[in-house]
Amino acid sequence: MMTCPAPRPALRALLPILAALAVMLALASGLRPALAQESLGPLTSFSSAGQPMGADEAFLLTVASEGDAVRLTWQVMPGHYLYREFFRATAADGTGLPLDLPPGTAKDDPGFGAMEVYYDAVSAALPAAAFPVTLTWQGCQDGGICYAPITRTIAADGAAAEPAQGMQMAESPGLVDGIAARGGAALVIASFFGFGLLLAFTPCVLPMAPILLGLLSRQGERLTPLRGAVLSGVYVLAMALAFGALGVAAALSGQNLQMVLQSPAALIAVAALFGVLALSSFGLFELSMPARLTAALTRPGTGRRGSLAGAAGLGFTSALIVGPCVTAPLAGALLYIAQTGDAALGAAALFALGLGQGAPLLVAGTLGARALPRAGAWMEAVRRAFGFVFLGMAVWLLGRILPGPVVLALWALLALGLGVALGGVDAAGPRLRQRLAKVAGLTAIVAGAALGFGAAAGGSDPLRPLAPLVGGAPTAEALTFTTATGSAGIDRALAQANAPALVYVTADWCVTCRVIERDVLADPAVQAALEGRALIKADVSDFGPEAQAMLDRLQSVGPPTMVFLDRGGAEAPGTRLIGDIKAADMLRSAGAAP
Amino acid sequence: MILSRRHLIAGSAALVLTAPALRAQSYPDPAEVLNDPDAPVQGNPAGDVTVIEYFDYQCPYCKSNHPLLMDEVARDGGIRLILKDWPIFGPASLHATQLVLGAQRQGDYADAQAALMATKGRLTEAQIDSTLQDAGIDIAAASAAHDAEKDRWAALLNRNAAQAQGFGFMGTPSYIVGMTMFPGVIDQATLREAIKAARG
Repeated sequence: MMTCPAPRPALRALLPILAALAVMLALASGLRPALAQESLGPLTSFSSAGQPMGADEAFLLTVASEGDAVRLTWQVMPGHYLYREFFRATAADGTGLPLDLPPGTAKDDPGFGAMEVYYDAVSAALPAAAFPVTLTWQGCQDGGICYAPITRTIAADGAAAEPAQGMQMAESPGLVDGIAARGGAALVIASFFGFGLLLAFTPCVLPMAPILLGLLSRQGERLTPLRGAVLSGVYVLAMALAFGALGVAAALSGQNLQMVLQSPAALIAVAALFGVLALSSFGLFELSMPARLTAALTRPGTGRRGSLAGAAGLGFTSALIVGPCVTAPLAGALLYIAQTGDAALGAAALFALGLGQGAPLLVAGTLGARALPRAGAWMEAVRRAFGFVFLGMAVWLLGRILPGPVVLALWALLALGLGVALGGVDAAGPRLRQRLAKVAGLTAIVAGAALGFGAAAGGSDPLRPLAPLVGGAPTAEALTFTTATGSAGIDRALAQANAPALVYVTADWCVTCRVIERDVLADPAVQAALEGRALIKADVSDFGPEAQAMLDRLQSVGPPTMVFLDRGGAEAPGTRLIGDIKAADMLRSAGAAP
Repeated sequence: MILSRRHLIAGSAALVLTAPALRAQSYPDPAEVLNDPDAPVQGNPAGDVTVIEYFDYQCPYCKSNHPLLMDEVARDGGIRLILKDWPIFGPASLHATQLVLGAQRQGDYADAQAALMATKGRLTEAQIDSTLQDAGIDIAAASAAHDAEKDRWAALLNRNAAQAQGFGFMGTPSYIVGMTMFPGVIDQATLREAIKAARG
């Protein structure tokens, strides 16, 4: 029962009486049947043989103001206990609030290991500003009955409040929690390594392969398989460390770091780095540490420290490129860290994820070193090719912050440059290789011209640059989304729709989202499955506090995420999709959601 | 007509049982509780006394008290037993419930249930899967069978929960013997007495 702040001494005095009552009720609860129906003749309705203590009496919640905080205290009646893990606090907008619950008493549970429970009382404080909050707790009468979860929405003064309206996210067993429950921390780390391996072949991680091979190719004739392995290893290790650091930083700062990773400053810095790498690949200068630093680091006979440091730096920044690609495991680990503050396991999991992602790169780097030609004109060609790849990376990164036509113009320049470099405008020699190069160069020039025309006409899709000139409505846009850039926008859209909804968290800079829009949302079967559903785009392209609040509300760490809501705004359990989403996933979730 | 009679009986019960029985007017319809077509029946389907338990696969007291109930069903021979799933312990409980209901298709409902009821306390989904596998249940088939009729099972669980709440049950285990409700763990003597009383 909700009570206003009760004077503690009075409560103390009441305790013995309540305890006596509890024992009496416990005895009455099913242990001593009141078989009163015998005197009532034939029955057509049910009668009760006694009742255990009401859940509100067994676990008495008192609410007391403590300056800026509100202290919640659950008085647990003798013979009862509350489970530590079942406490939940949710703000009015549906976001979870962390409860700083003290360690409980270990109660041995043969199936589960030690469960933490509270026998006498437990209390936790929440900031007063967070109210009204919805609290959930659950416990048992020892040896008698386990209560169904008790949920109450209360205001800061303890008065009952209206439960939260609008969106309700489904409780899901967290990815990390789930694995940890199965096999402990070791299995979490092993699983994340496995997830990383799977992720290595997604569009998010593939750009890392050319970066690494480009790095290796700049080694020239010094490159041996061993050297390739060492360089790749350093690169991969640095990338994994960056992932781990991301986890630690997320735990320490308590906020989503995507905002930082997506800041224009970070993107421009990384794009500039790729620009420099490209110029270096074109042979404009030799990229190395400043001479004095190199000399200080380099012991006689090694002479290789500089490029190792370069590999480490490149690996670390590469994690930035993959950062915006939110995938299910990354989201799971970041959410786990955010919810539990357990930076150690979260960061270790992310580190393992990074190692897994890098493992195929390590193989490619080692074998690639053997495959790459030793020296000569070929080597020069390979280096130049990677120069174009690096420039492509830079344009791709800038594409997240520059307007579409500008990006298209940059792609046009890149394609024209490539065409010229391939000899598209030179007179082709008689040899087949020269002629093929000319064909490729001409193709690049034609593509560049198309991109340029597209840019001039205001187009923005590099894959269909002439779409604004053609004018035909592309099938991919057959689905009409309402775009929201903040929490309020989603509420408005939901209220207007009054129908089951799909909230699609996306952003301009989300590469995986483009793939989903092209391959999944354009699929007629998917479109049919989504019929009758309000389609809402939660657009976080402009990543500010508004977007962050919207993500928190959706309990998403970023795009791409699909959240299926019923008419009342409650998420259908087990239907959420994160990361590299396929048409089959969409069909399954759309079918499972009401 | 029916309503008024129910009120009358509830009123007289309230005289004896005080407060809790005042809720009798909102008690669920006996016909629906006793004869839910989707709720699996065990024991003797033609028995003269129906025993119902609202339970959860992670509720320690449901499980510690389970042998007592099953022994009584076997010994008595005339008990029609309905175990109604009321998953109150979160996703793992729901997972267990769905697999056991799904196992009905292969005729493994009782075995699957017995295997999980023989565990002790809290369970993870993995422990549920391995317990069922060790008991020889094809969990892939059970899961597929559940999914094929998931609306039917979801509706059953909704009815179970609505009934439990309608009875004013606060948690699991909660029993109904004949027409009498027993919230919380029940001992052997009480159970036998209740069965005897129900046979009147």
